[in-house]
Amino acid sequence: QLDHGCALHAAARDGLSSVSSRDVLAERPRAVFHTSESDPAKHTEQHEGRLYNIPLEEVKAVFPHGLPHRFQQQIQTFNEARLMVRKPALELLACLKGSNFAHPAVRYVIYGERGTGKTMTLCHVVHYCSRQGWLVLHIPDAHLWVKNCKELLQSSYNKDRLDQPLQASAWLKNFKTSNERFLQEIKTQKKYMWGKRESTEEGRPLREVVEQGLARVRSASDAVGVVLRELKQQSHRGSFRLLVAVDGVNALWGRTALSKEDKSPVSPEELTLVHNLRKMVMNDWSGGAIVTTLSQTGSLFKPSSAYTPQELLGKEGFDALDPFVPIPVPNYSPREFESCYGYYLERKWLQHEKAHTEDGKAELRFLSGSNPRQLERLAGPL
Amino acid sequence: RIMPVRWSRYNPNYLEPEPKKEPYQKPLEERTEEEREQMDLKTVRPIKAAPPTMSSSVFNDPLISKFTNMMMKSGNKVLARSLMSQTLEAIKRKQLEKYHKAPENEKETIECNPYVIFHQALKNCQPIIGLSNITKGGKTYQVPIPLTDNRKRFLAMKWLITECRENKHRRTMMPEKLSQELLLAFNNEGPVIKKKHVLHKMAEANRAYAHFRWW
Repeated sequence: QLDHGCALHAAARDGLSSVSSRDVLAERPRAVFHTSESDPAKHTEQHEGRLYNIPLEEVKAVFPHGLPHRFQQQIQTFNEARLMVRKPALELLACLKGSNFAHPAVRYVIYGERGTGKTMTLCHVVHYCSRQGWLVLHIPDAHLWVKNCKELLQSSYNKDRLDQPLQASAWLKNFKTSNERFLQEIKTQKKYMWGKRESTEEGRPLREVVEQGLARVRSASDAVGVVLRELKQQSHRGSFRLLVAVDGVNALWGRTALSKEDKSPVSPEELTLVHNLRKMVMNDWSGGAIVTTLSQTGSLFKPSSAYTPQELLGKEGFDALDPFVPIPVPNYSPREFESCYGYYLERKWLQHEKAHTEDGKAELRFLSGSNPRQLERLAGPL
Repeated sequence: RIMPVRWSRYNPNYLEPEPKKEPYQKPLEERTEEEREQMDLKTVRPIKAAPPTMSSSVFNDPLISKFTNMMMKSGNKVLARSLMSQTLEAIKRKQLEKYHKAPENEKETIECNPYVIFHQALKNCQPIIGLSNITKGGKTYQVPIPLTDNRKRFLAMKWLITECRENKHRRTMMPEKLSQELLLAFNNEGPVIKKKHVLHKMAEANRAYAHFRWW
Protein backbone atom coordinates (compact mmCIF):
# COMPACT_ATOMS: atom_id res chain seq x y z
CA GLN A 1 0.00 0.00 0.00
CA LEU A 2 1.51 3.30 -0.98
CA ASP A 3 1.85 6.14 1.44
CA HIS A 4 -1.09 8.53 1.04
CA GLY A 5 0.38 11.26 3.15
CA CYS A 6 1.59 14.58 1.95
CA ALA A 7 4.30 13.88 -0.57
CA LEU A 8 5.96 17.22 -0.13
CA HIS A 9 7.97 19.16 2.32
CA ALA A 10 7.47 17.90 5.84
CA ALA A 11 8.59 21.31 7.04
CA ALA A 12 5.72 22.98 5.19
CA ARG A 13 3.30 20.60 6.85
CA ASP A 14 4.61 21.43 10.32
CA GLY A 15 4.40 25.15 9.60
CA LEU A 16 0.77 24.73 8.56
CA SER A 17 -0.35 22.82 11.63
CA SER A 18 0.89 25.64 13.85
CA VAL A 19 -1.14 28.26 11.95
CA SER A 20 -4.81 27.39 12.31
CA SER A 21 -7.25 27.95 9.52
CA ARG A 22 -8.72 31.18 10.91
CA ASP A 23 -8.72 33.98 8.38
CA VAL A 24 -6.52 36.97 8.66
CA LEU A 25 -9.21 39.47 9.70
CA ALA A 26 -8.28 39.38 13.36
CA GLU A 27 -4.54 39.63 12.71
CA ARG A 28 -2.54 42.45 11.22
CA PRO A 29 -4.40 44.59 8.65
CA ARG A 30 -2.34 42.79 6.03
CA ALA A 31 -5.13 41.70 3.91
CA VAL A 32 -8.75 40.96 3.78
CA PHE A 33 -7.97 39.39 0.46
CA HIS A 34 -5.23 37.05 1.63
CA THR A 35 -5.76 33.79 3.41
CA SER A 36 -3.28 31.86 5.46
CA GLU A 37 -4.89 28.57 4.41
CA SER A 38 -2.24 27.04 2.22
CA ASP A 39 -3.84 23.62 1.76
CA PRO A 40 -6.32 23.45 -1.15
CA ALA A 41 -8.18 20.62 0.58
CA LYS A 42 -9.45 23.05 3.20
CA HIS A 43 -10.59 25.79 0.80
CA THR A 44 -14.32 26.52 1.07
CA GLU A 45 -16.72 29.26 -0.13
CA GLN A 46 -15.47 31.33 2.77
CA HIS A 47 -12.12 31.59 1.01
CA GLU A 48 -13.63 32.59 -2.30
CA GLY A 49 -11.95 35.64 -3.85
CA ARG A 50 -8.91 35.33 -1.61
CA LEU A 51 -5.34 34.58 -2.57
CA TYR A 52 -3.43 31.75 -0.97
CA ASN A 53 0.30 31.25 -0.86
CA ILE A 54 2.18 28.27 -2.29
CA PRO A 55 5.68 27.90 -0.76
CA LEU A 56 8.39 28.24 -3.41
CA GLU A 57 9.86 24.78 -2.83
CA GLU A 58 6.45 23.25 -3.49
CA VAL A 59 6.15 25.26 -6.68
CA LYS A 60 9.41 23.81 -7.97
CA ALA A 61 8.38 20.28 -7.03
CA VAL A 62 4.75 20.31 -8.18
CA PHE A 63 4.91 22.64 -11.21
CA PRO A 64 8.15 22.04 -13.12
CA HIS A 65 6.30 22.86 -16.32
CA GLY A 66 2.68 23.75 -15.64
CA LEU A 67 2.44 27.47 -14.90
CA PRO A 68 1.84 30.18 -17.53
CA HIS A 69 4.89 32.26 -18.44
CA ARG A 70 3.57 35.57 -17.09
CA PHE A 71 2.74 33.93 -13.76
CA GLN A 72 6.28 32.58 -13.49
CA GLN A 73 7.64 36.09 -14.08
CA GLN A 74 5.29 37.37 -11.37
CA ILE A 75 6.54 34.71 -8.94
CA GLN A 76 10.10 35.83 -9.59
CA THR A 77 9.33 39.55 -9.14
CA PHE A 78 7.20 39.26 -5.99
CA ASN A 79 9.22 36.36 -4.52
CA GLU A 80 6.02 34.46 -3.73
CA ALA A 81 3.38 32.43 -5.59
CA ARG A 82 -0.20 33.52 -4.81
CA LEU A 83 -3.16 31.85 -6.46
CA MET A 84 -6.72 33.13 -6.25
CA VAL A 85 -9.39 30.74 -4.98
CA ARG A 86 -12.32 31.00 -7.37
CA LYS A 87 -15.72 29.34 -7.71
CA PRO A 88 -14.98 26.98 -10.66
CA ALA A 89 -11.97 25.56 -8.80
CA LEU A 90 -14.02 25.09 -5.62
CA GLU A 91 -16.71 23.23 -7.60
CA LEU A 92 -14.10 20.95 -9.16
CA LEU A 93 -12.49 20.23 -5.80
CA ALA A 94 -15.88 19.39 -4.30
CA CYS A 95 -16.58 16.99 -7.19
CA LEU A 96 -13.18 15.34 -6.75
CA LYS A 97 -13.63 14.95 -3.00
CA GLY A 98 -17.02 13.31 -3.45
CA SER A 99 -16.18 11.06 -6.38
CA ASN A 100 -16.24 7.28 -6.14
CA PHE A 101 -12.99 5.81 -7.38
CA ALA A 102 -14.40 2.39 -8.16
CA HIS A 103 -16.38 3.92 -11.03
CA PRO A 104 -14.77 4.87 -14.37
CA ALA A 105 -12.84 8.13 -14.34
CA VAL A 106 -14.98 11.27 -14.67
CA ARG A 107 -13.90 13.83 -17.27
CA TYR A 108 -14.02 17.54 -16.46
CA VAL A 109 -13.64 20.14 -19.20
CA ILE A 110 -12.78 23.69 -18.10
CA TYR A 111 -13.79 26.21 -20.75
CA GLY A 112 -14.21 29.97 -20.99
CA GLU A 113 -13.19 33.02 -22.95
CA ARG A 114 -9.60 34.06 -23.43
CA GLY A 115 -7.67 34.99 -20.34
CA THR A 116 -10.31 34.14 -17.73
CA GLY A 117 -8.16 31.78 -15.65
CA LYS A 118 -8.64 28.25 -17.02
CA THR A 119 -4.97 27.26 -16.74
CA MET A 120 -4.78 28.70 -13.22
CA THR A 121 -7.84 26.67 -12.19
CA LEU A 122 -6.12 23.58 -13.55
CA CYS A 123 -2.98 24.41 -11.56
CA HIS A 124 -5.06 24.83 -8.41
CA VAL A 125 -6.54 21.35 -8.91
CA VAL A 126 -3.09 19.87 -9.65
CA HIS A 127 -1.76 21.40 -6.43
CA TYR A 128 -4.65 19.90 -4.46
CA CYS A 129 -4.10 16.46 -5.93
CA SER A 130 -0.37 16.48 -5.30
CA ARG A 131 -1.03 17.56 -1.70
CA GLN A 132 -3.41 14.61 -1.34
CA GLY A 133 -0.73 12.27 -2.67
CA TRP A 134 -2.14 11.49 -6.10
CA LEU A 135 0.02 10.70 -9.12
CA VAL A 136 -0.30 13.73 -11.37
CA LEU A 137 0.11 13.35 -15.13
CA HIS A 138 0.29 17.02 -16.14
CA ILE A 139 0.65 17.90 -19.81
CA PRO A 140 1.25 21.67 -19.79
CA ASP A 141 0.07 22.40 -23.32
CA ALA A 142 -1.00 19.75 -25.83
CA HIS A 143 -0.70 22.37 -28.60
CA LEU A 144 3.09 22.25 -28.27
CA TRP A 145 2.96 18.65 -29.49
CA VAL A 146 1.13 19.44 -32.74
CA LYS A 147 3.11 22.41 -33.94
CA ASN A 148 6.69 23.69 -34.28
CA CYS A 149 8.28 20.27 -34.15
CA LYS A 150 11.87 20.34 -35.42
CA GLU A 151 12.39 16.57 -35.61
CA LEU A 152 9.87 14.00 -36.71
CA LEU A 153 11.11 10.41 -36.75
CA GLN A 154 9.29 7.43 -38.12
CA SER A 155 8.26 5.27 -35.20
CA SER A 156 10.02 1.91 -34.90
CA TYR A 157 7.04 0.37 -33.08
CA ASN A 158 4.43 1.12 -35.72
CA LYS A 159 5.42 2.01 -39.27
CA ASP A 160 2.57 4.51 -39.88
CA ARG A 161 3.21 6.68 -36.86
CA LEU A 162 5.64 9.54 -36.28
CA ASP A 163 7.74 10.14 -33.18
CA GLN A 164 8.65 13.43 -31.53
CA PRO A 165 11.83 12.86 -29.53
CA LEU A 166 12.39 16.45 -28.31
CA GLN A 167 8.94 17.06 -26.88
CA ALA A 168 8.73 13.58 -25.39
CA SER A 169 12.10 13.84 -23.62
CA ALA A 170 11.30 17.33 -22.27
CA TRP A 171 8.01 16.04 -20.86
CA LEU A 172 9.65 12.95 -19.33
CA LYS A 173 12.23 15.13 -17.55
CA ASN A 174 9.51 17.27 -15.96
CA PHE A 175 7.39 14.22 -15.13
CA LYS A 176 10.34 12.75 -13.29
CA THR A 177 10.83 15.81 -11.06
CA SER A 178 7.18 16.00 -10.08
CA ASN A 179 6.52 12.32 -9.29
CA GLU A 180 9.78 10.96 -7.90
CA ARG A 181 8.49 8.55 -5.29
CA PHE A 182 5.79 6.96 -7.44
CA LEU A 183 8.28 6.01 -10.12
CA GLN A 184 10.21 3.98 -7.57
CA GLU A 185 7.16 2.14 -6.32
CA ILE A 186 5.18 1.26 -9.45
CA LYS A 187 6.47 -1.82 -11.25
CA THR A 188 6.12 -2.75 -14.91
CA GLN A 189 3.93 -5.70 -15.79
CA LYS A 190 5.39 -6.70 -19.11
CA LYS A 191 8.74 -6.96 -20.77
CA TYR A 192 9.47 -4.05 -23.16
CA MET A 193 12.06 -4.17 -25.97
CA TRP A 194 13.80 -0.94 -26.93
CA GLY A 195 15.36 -1.76 -30.28
CA LYS A 196 17.36 -4.98 -30.72
CA ARG A 197 19.53 -5.04 -27.63
CA GLU A 198 17.99 -3.08 -24.80
CA SER A 199 14.97 -4.17 -22.84
CA THR A 200 13.23 -3.55 -19.56
CA GLU A 201 12.27 -6.71 -17.63
CA GLU A 202 8.96 -7.34 -15.95
CA GLY A 203 8.74 -6.08 -12.37
CA ARG A 204 11.31 -3.28 -12.74
CA PRO A 205 10.35 0.14 -11.32
CA LEU A 206 8.90 2.62 -13.81
CA ARG A 207 11.84 4.89 -13.11
CA GLU A 208 13.96 2.70 -15.39
CA VAL A 209 11.55 3.18 -18.28
CA VAL A 210 11.74 6.95 -17.80
CA GLU A 211 15.50 6.90 -17.61
CA GLN A 212 15.65 4.76 -20.72
CA GLY A 213 13.52 7.35 -22.51
CA LEU A 214 15.79 10.16 -21.35
CA ALA A 215 19.00 8.33 -22.23
CA ARG A 216 17.90 7.10 -25.64
CA VAL A 217 16.09 10.09 -27.06
CA ARG A 218 15.02 8.18 -30.15
CA SER A 219 12.73 5.94 -28.12
CA ALA A 220 11.43 8.72 -25.84
CA SER A 221 7.93 8.76 -27.37
CA ASP A 222 7.66 4.99 -26.93
CA ALA A 223 8.79 5.39 -23.32
CA VAL A 224 5.98 7.91 -22.80
CA GLY A 225 3.53 5.42 -24.33
CA VAL A 226 4.73 2.67 -21.99
CA VAL A 227 4.42 4.92 -18.93
CA LEU A 228 0.86 5.92 -19.83
CA ARG A 229 -0.12 2.31 -20.49
CA GLU A 230 1.28 1.03 -17.20
CA LEU A 231 -0.39 3.79 -15.18
CA LYS A 232 -3.75 3.14 -16.83
CA GLN A 233 -3.62 -0.58 -16.18
CA GLN A 234 -2.50 -0.29 -12.58
CA SER A 235 -4.68 2.58 -11.41
CA HIS A 236 -7.82 0.49 -10.80
CA ARG A 237 -6.04 -1.51 -8.11
CA GLY A 238 -6.33 1.43 -5.75
CA SER A 239 -2.78 1.66 -4.55
CA PHE A 240 -2.52 5.17 -5.96
CA ARG A 241 -4.91 7.71 -7.49
CA LEU A 242 -4.21 9.03 -10.94
CA LEU A 243 -4.97 12.56 -12.14
CA VAL A 244 -4.65 13.23 -15.85
CA ALA A 245 -4.41 17.01 -16.29
CA VAL A 246 -4.26 18.16 -19.92
CA ASP A 247 -4.12 21.82 -20.90
CA GLY A 248 -5.37 22.58 -24.41
CA VAL A 249 -7.05 19.24 -24.98
CA ASN A 250 -8.59 20.49 -28.22
CA ALA A 251 -5.19 19.97 -29.85
CA LEU A 252 -5.68 16.21 -29.76
CA TRP A 253 -8.52 16.35 -32.30
CA GLY A 254 -8.32 18.69 -35.28
CA ARG A 255 -5.38 19.44 -37.53
CA THR A 256 -1.68 19.76 -36.92
CA ALA A 257 0.71 22.32 -38.39
CA LEU A 258 3.30 19.63 -39.14
CA SER A 259 4.00 17.96 -42.46
CA LYS A 260 5.91 14.90 -43.55
CA GLU A 261 8.98 15.00 -45.78
CA ASP A 262 6.87 14.82 -48.91
CA LYS A 263 4.96 17.90 -47.70
CA SER A 264 1.72 15.99 -47.02
CA PRO A 265 -0.10 17.12 -43.87
CA VAL A 266 0.10 15.03 -40.70
CA SER A 267 -3.14 14.23 -38.91
CA PRO A 268 -3.03 13.95 -35.10
CA GLU A 269 -3.57 10.14 -35.07
CA GLU A 270 -0.24 9.69 -36.82
CA LEU A 271 1.69 11.13 -33.88
CA THR A 272 2.57 8.57 -31.19
CA LEU A 273 2.28 11.06 -28.33
CA VAL A 274 -1.18 12.22 -29.40
CA HIS A 275 -2.35 8.65 -30.03
CA ASN A 276 -1.33 7.51 -26.55
CA LEU A 277 -2.77 10.60 -24.90
CA ARG A 278 -6.12 10.04 -26.57
CA LYS A 279 -6.21 6.55 -25.09
CA MET A 280 -5.45 8.05 -21.69
CA VAL A 281 -8.29 10.55 -21.91
CA MET A 282 -10.88 7.77 -22.59
CA ASN A 283 -12.94 6.91 -19.56
CA ASP A 284 -12.38 3.15 -19.65
CA TRP A 285 -10.20 3.09 -16.53
CA SER A 286 -11.04 3.74 -12.88
CA GLY A 287 -9.28 5.02 -9.81
CA GLY A 288 -8.77 8.67 -10.66
CA ALA A 289 -10.03 11.65 -12.64
CA ILE A 290 -9.35 13.47 -15.90
CA VAL A 291 -9.32 17.27 -15.78
CA THR A 292 -8.83 19.09 -19.08
CA THR A 293 -8.84 22.66 -20.34
CA LEU A 294 -9.86 24.01 -23.71
CA SER A 295 -7.65 26.71 -25.11
CA GLN A 296 -8.13 28.90 -28.13
CA THR A 297 -4.84 30.82 -27.83
CA GLY A 298 -2.56 27.98 -28.95
CA SER A 299 -5.06 26.26 -31.19
CA LEU A 300 -4.62 25.82 -34.90
CA PHE A 301 -7.11 26.80 -37.58
CA LYS A 302 -9.81 27.86 -35.13
CA PRO A 303 -11.38 31.37 -35.12
CA SER A 304 -10.40 33.61 -32.25
CA SER A 305 -13.97 34.07 -31.04
CA ALA A 306 -14.48 30.32 -30.44
CA TYR A 307 -14.54 29.25 -26.81
CA THR A 308 -17.31 26.67 -26.33
CA PRO A 309 -16.47 22.93 -26.28
CA GLN A 310 -18.56 22.31 -29.40
CA GLU A 311 -16.60 24.85 -31.47
CA LEU A 312 -13.12 24.07 -30.23
CA LEU A 313 -13.25 20.27 -30.03
CA GLY A 314 -15.06 19.75 -33.32
CA LYS A 315 -17.38 16.82 -33.90
CA GLU A 316 -14.68 14.16 -33.47
CA GLY A 317 -13.33 15.53 -30.23
CA PHE A 318 -16.75 16.17 -28.74
CA ASP A 319 -17.86 12.60 -29.47
CA ALA A 320 -14.66 11.22 -28.01
CA LEU A 321 -14.95 13.26 -24.83
CA ASP A 322 -18.71 12.96 -24.74
CA PRO A 323 -19.93 12.32 -21.21
CA PHE A 324 -17.98 15.14 -19.51
CA VAL A 325 -18.67 17.69 -16.79
CA PRO A 326 -18.35 21.21 -18.27
CA ILE A 327 -16.99 23.88 -15.94
CA PRO A 328 -17.28 27.45 -17.26
CA VAL A 329 -14.80 30.02 -15.96
CA PRO A 330 -16.13 33.60 -16.02
CA ASN A 331 -14.32 36.95 -15.71
CA TYR A 332 -13.61 38.40 -12.26
CA SER A 333 -16.61 39.15 -10.07
CA PRO A 334 -16.49 42.62 -8.34
CA ARG A 335 -15.15 40.99 -5.18
CA GLU A 336 -12.41 39.12 -7.01
CA PHE A 337 -11.45 42.30 -8.87
CA GLU A 338 -11.12 44.19 -5.58
CA SER A 339 -9.02 41.39 -4.19
CA CYS A 340 -6.68 41.34 -7.22
CA TYR A 341 -6.37 45.15 -7.24
CA GLY A 342 -5.61 45.19 -3.52
CA TYR A 343 -2.94 42.53 -3.99
CA TYR A 344 -1.20 44.53 -6.72
CA LEU A 345 -1.29 47.64 -4.54
CA GLU A 346 0.09 45.81 -1.57
CA ARG A 347 2.95 44.27 -3.55
CA LYS A 348 3.75 47.71 -5.00
CA TRP A 349 3.05 46.49 -8.52
CA LEU A 350 0.81 49.50 -9.29
CA GLN A 351 3.32 52.33 -8.99
CA HIS A 352 1.53 55.15 -10.85
CA GLU A 353 0.19 57.79 -8.40
CA LYS A 354 -3.19 57.89 -10.11
CA ALA A 355 -3.55 54.12 -9.89
CA HIS A 356 -4.11 54.42 -6.13
CA THR A 357 -7.15 56.70 -6.61
CA GLU A 358 -10.78 55.71 -7.12
CA ASP A 359 -10.69 57.14 -10.65
CA GLY A 360 -7.72 54.97 -11.55
CA LYS A 361 -9.42 51.88 -10.16
CA ALA A 362 -12.62 52.60 -12.09
CA GLU A 363 -10.59 53.13 -15.23
CA LEU A 364 -8.72 49.82 -14.78
CA ARG A 365 -11.99 48.02 -14.22
CA PHE A 366 -13.49 49.53 -17.35
CA LEU A 367 -10.48 49.02 -19.61
CA SER A 368 -9.90 45.41 -18.57
CA GLY A 369 -13.60 44.47 -18.50
CA SER A 370 -12.76 42.48 -15.34
CA ASN A 371 -10.78 40.05 -17.48
CA PRO A 372 -7.85 38.71 -15.45
CA ARG A 373 -5.35 38.67 -18.31
CA GLN A 374 -6.23 42.19 -19.50
CA LEU A 375 -5.97 43.49 -15.96
CA GLU A 376 -2.54 41.97 -15.59
CA ARG A 377 -1.35 43.37 -18.93
CA LEU A 378 -2.71 46.83 -18.11
CA ALA A 379 -1.20 46.87 -14.64
CA GLY A 380 2.23 46.01 -16.09
CA PRO A 381 3.35 49.45 -17.27
CA LEU A 382 1.39 51.35 -14.60
CA ARG B 1 -2.68 78.74 -26.59
CA ILE B 2 -1.33 79.70 -29.99
CA MET B 3 -3.99 79.08 -32.62
CA PRO B 4 -2.67 77.84 -35.94
CA VAL B 5 -4.39 80.48 -38.02
CA ARG B 6 -2.72 80.13 -41.37
CA TRP B 7 -2.86 76.36 -41.89
CA SER B 8 -5.94 75.10 -40.08
CA ARG B 9 -9.00 74.67 -42.24
CA TYR B 10 -11.45 75.06 -39.41
CA ASN B 11 -13.87 77.97 -39.23
CA PRO B 12 -12.69 80.31 -36.42
CA ASN B 13 -16.04 79.61 -34.73
CA TYR B 14 -14.90 76.15 -33.69
CA LEU B 15 -13.72 75.67 -30.09
CA GLU B 16 -11.07 73.31 -28.73
CA PRO B 17 -12.20 70.00 -27.16
CA GLU B 18 -11.77 69.55 -23.37
CA PRO B 19 -10.73 65.98 -22.38
CA LYS B 20 -10.76 66.40 -18.57
CA LYS B 21 -13.99 66.01 -16.64
CA GLU B 22 -13.14 68.31 -13.67
CA PRO B 23 -14.31 71.58 -15.34
CA TYR B 24 -17.70 69.99 -16.07
CA GLN B 25 -18.13 68.61 -12.58
CA LYS B 26 -17.54 71.98 -10.88
CA PRO B 27 -20.78 73.39 -9.43
CA LEU B 28 -22.02 76.71 -10.87
CA GLU B 29 -21.14 78.83 -7.85
CA GLU B 30 -17.43 78.04 -7.92
CA ARG B 31 -16.93 79.05 -11.54
CA THR B 32 -15.37 82.43 -12.31
CA GLU B 33 -16.86 84.88 -14.86
CA GLU B 34 -14.64 83.69 -17.71
CA GLU B 35 -15.39 80.06 -17.05
CA ARG B 36 -19.10 80.77 -17.05
CA GLU B 37 -18.78 82.59 -20.37
CA GLN B 38 -16.72 79.71 -21.74
CA MET B 39 -19.39 77.17 -20.73
CA ASP B 40 -22.12 79.27 -22.33
CA LEU B 41 -20.09 79.54 -25.50
CA LYS B 42 -19.70 75.76 -25.58
CA THR B 43 -23.43 75.29 -25.67
CA VAL B 44 -23.75 77.25 -28.93
CA ARG B 45 -20.48 76.93 -30.81
CA PRO B 46 -19.34 73.75 -32.62
CA ILE B 47 -16.23 71.91 -31.33
CA LYS B 48 -13.23 70.65 -33.31
CA ALA B 49 -12.49 66.93 -33.63
CA ALA B 50 -10.13 65.67 -30.94
CA PRO B 51 -6.71 64.48 -32.22
CA PRO B 52 -5.92 60.80 -31.58
CA THR B 53 -3.17 61.71 -29.08
CA MET B 54 -5.66 63.47 -26.78
CA SER B 55 -6.88 61.07 -24.08
CA SER B 56 -9.14 61.50 -21.06
CA SER B 57 -7.37 58.70 -19.18
CA VAL B 58 -5.87 59.56 -15.78
CA PHE B 59 -2.76 57.60 -16.77
CA ASN B 60 -2.02 59.77 -19.80
CA ASP B 61 1.41 61.43 -19.75
CA PRO B 62 2.39 63.96 -22.49
CA LEU B 63 6.13 63.22 -22.22
CA ILE B 64 5.58 59.48 -22.63
CA SER B 65 3.32 60.11 -25.64
CA LYS B 66 5.96 62.34 -27.24
CA PHE B 67 8.63 59.70 -26.67
CA THR B 68 6.38 56.99 -28.12
CA ASN B 69 5.80 59.13 -31.21
CA MET B 70 9.53 59.57 -31.66
CA MET B 71 10.08 55.80 -31.37
CA MET B 72 7.37 55.13 -33.96
CA LYS B 73 8.46 53.96 -37.42
CA SER B 74 6.27 54.34 -40.51
CA GLY B 75 3.21 55.12 -38.46
CA ASN B 76 3.14 51.89 -36.46
CA LYS B 77 1.88 53.43 -33.23
CA VAL B 78 0.59 50.07 -31.93
CA LEU B 79 4.12 48.62 -31.95
CA ALA B 80 5.69 51.79 -30.50
CA ARG B 81 3.17 51.88 -27.66
CA SER B 82 3.60 48.21 -26.83
CA LEU B 83 7.40 48.65 -26.79
CA MET B 84 6.98 51.61 -24.43
CA SER B 85 4.73 49.68 -22.05
CA GLN B 86 7.11 46.70 -22.09
CA THR B 87 10.00 49.09 -21.28
CA LEU B 88 8.13 50.56 -18.30
CA GLU B 89 7.27 47.07 -17.09
CA ALA B 90 10.90 45.93 -17.44
CA ILE B 91 12.13 48.94 -15.41
CA LYS B 92 9.52 48.21 -12.74
CA ARG B 93 10.45 44.53 -12.52
CA LYS B 94 14.18 45.23 -12.19
CA GLN B 95 13.64 47.85 -9.50
CA LEU B 96 11.13 45.71 -7.58
CA GLU B 97 13.51 42.74 -7.54
CA LYS B 98 16.24 45.00 -6.18
CA TYR B 99 13.79 46.44 -3.66
CA HIS B 100 12.67 43.08 -2.31
CA LYS B 101 16.22 41.81 -1.95
CA ALA B 102 17.59 44.97 -0.31
CA PRO B 103 17.92 45.28 3.50
CA GLU B 104 15.41 47.46 5.37
CA ASN B 105 17.44 50.66 5.63
CA GLU B 106 18.15 50.81 1.90
CA LYS B 107 14.57 50.20 0.82
CA GLU B 108 13.61 53.89 0.81
CA THR B 109 16.47 54.87 -1.49
CA ILE B 110 15.35 52.51 -4.28
CA GLU B 111 12.92 54.21 -6.66
CA CYS B 112 10.37 51.79 -8.11
CA ASN B 113 8.06 54.09 -10.04
CA PRO B 114 8.95 53.75 -13.75
CA TYR B 115 7.45 57.17 -14.58
CA VAL B 116 9.59 58.96 -12.00
CA ILE B 117 12.67 57.15 -13.32
CA PHE B 118 11.78 58.05 -16.91
CA HIS B 119 11.26 61.76 -16.16
CA GLN B 120 14.40 62.01 -14.06
CA ALA B 121 16.50 60.15 -16.64
CA LEU B 122 15.36 62.48 -19.42
CA LYS B 123 16.06 65.50 -17.25
CA ASN B 124 19.56 64.22 -16.57
CA CYS B 125 20.16 63.75 -20.30
CA GLN B 126 19.11 67.24 -21.33
CA PRO B 127 22.05 69.47 -22.43
CA ILE B 128 22.18 73.05 -21.09
CA ILE B 129 23.97 74.62 -23.99
CA GLY B 130 24.08 73.66 -27.66
CA LEU B 131 26.16 74.35 -30.73
CA SER B 132 25.05 75.81 -34.04
CA ASN B 133 26.82 76.33 -37.37
CA ILE B 134 27.29 80.05 -38.20
CA THR B 135 29.01 81.07 -41.45
CA LYS B 136 31.12 84.21 -41.24
CA GLY B 137 33.65 85.30 -43.85
CA GLY B 138 33.42 82.07 -45.81
CA LYS B 139 34.19 79.79 -42.83
CA THR B 140 31.63 77.91 -40.68
CA TYR B 141 32.14 78.04 -36.93
CA GLN B 142 30.52 75.93 -34.20
CA VAL B 143 29.02 78.60 -31.94
CA PRO B 144 27.65 77.88 -28.47
CA ILE B 145 23.99 78.98 -28.16
CA PRO B 146 21.29 78.71 -25.50
CA LEU B 147 18.63 76.05 -26.16
CA THR B 148 14.90 76.29 -25.66
CA ASP B 149 13.11 73.76 -23.45
CA ASN B 150 11.56 72.02 -26.41
CA ARG B 151 14.92 71.64 -28.13
CA LYS B 152 16.52 70.22 -24.94
CA ARG B 153 13.75 67.65 -24.54
CA PHE B 154 13.98 66.72 -28.21
CA LEU B 155 17.75 66.26 -28.10
CA ALA B 156 17.58 64.09 -24.96
CA MET B 157 14.92 61.81 -26.45
CA LYS B 158 16.67 61.63 -29.82
CA TRP B 159 20.00 60.65 -28.29
CA LEU B 160 18.37 57.99 -26.13
CA ILE B 161 16.55 56.42 -29.08
CA THR B 162 19.52 56.46 -31.47
CA GLU B 163 21.77 55.03 -28.76
CA CYS B 164 19.35 52.16 -28.16
CA ARG B 165 18.85 51.45 -31.84
CA GLU B 166 22.51 51.38 -32.82
CA ASN B 167 24.65 50.21 -29.93
CA LYS B 168 22.97 46.95 -29.06
CA HIS B 169 23.51 43.30 -29.82
CA ARG B 170 21.42 41.96 -32.70
CA ARG B 171 19.39 39.71 -30.41
CA THR B 172 18.56 42.12 -27.53
CA MET B 173 15.03 43.48 -27.62
CA MET B 174 14.39 47.22 -27.61
CA PRO B 175 12.50 47.31 -24.26
CA GLU B 176 15.37 45.54 -22.50
CA LYS B 177 18.03 47.87 -23.92
CA LEU B 178 15.92 50.98 -23.33
CA SER B 179 15.23 50.03 -19.71
CA GLN B 180 18.97 49.49 -19.18
CA GLU B 181 19.81 52.91 -20.67
CA LEU B 182 17.09 54.67 -18.68
CA LEU B 183 18.31 53.18 -15.41
CA LEU B 184 21.90 54.23 -16.21
CA ALA B 185 20.77 57.75 -17.12
CA PHE B 186 18.77 57.91 -13.88
CA ASN B 187 22.03 57.34 -12.01
CA ASN B 188 23.94 59.83 -14.21
CA GLU B 189 26.01 57.14 -15.90
CA GLY B 190 25.87 55.64 -19.35
CA PRO B 191 26.65 56.64 -22.94
CA VAL B 192 23.90 59.28 -23.31
CA ILE B 193 25.17 61.27 -20.33
CA LYS B 194 28.66 60.99 -21.80
CA LYS B 195 27.41 62.45 -25.06
CA LYS B 196 25.86 65.36 -23.17
CA HIS B 197 29.18 66.00 -21.39
CA VAL B 198 31.06 65.87 -24.71
CA LEU B 199 28.70 68.52 -26.11
CA HIS B 200 29.21 70.72 -23.05
CA LYS B 201 33.01 70.40 -23.41
CA MET B 202 32.86 71.37 -27.10
CA ALA B 203 30.76 74.41 -26.22
CA GLU B 204 33.24 75.36 -23.49
CA ALA B 205 36.11 74.93 -25.94
CA ASN B 206 34.45 77.20 -28.51
CA ARG B 207 33.71 79.96 -26.00
CA ALA B 208 35.71 82.41 -28.08
CA TYR B 209 33.17 82.35 -30.90
CA ALA B 210 30.21 83.07 -28.62
CA HIS B 211 30.07 86.71 -29.80
CA PHE B 212 29.23 85.52 -33.35
CA ARG B 213 25.72 84.92 -32.15
CA TRP B 214 23.45 87.84 -32.96
CA TRP B 215 20.19 86.80 -31.29
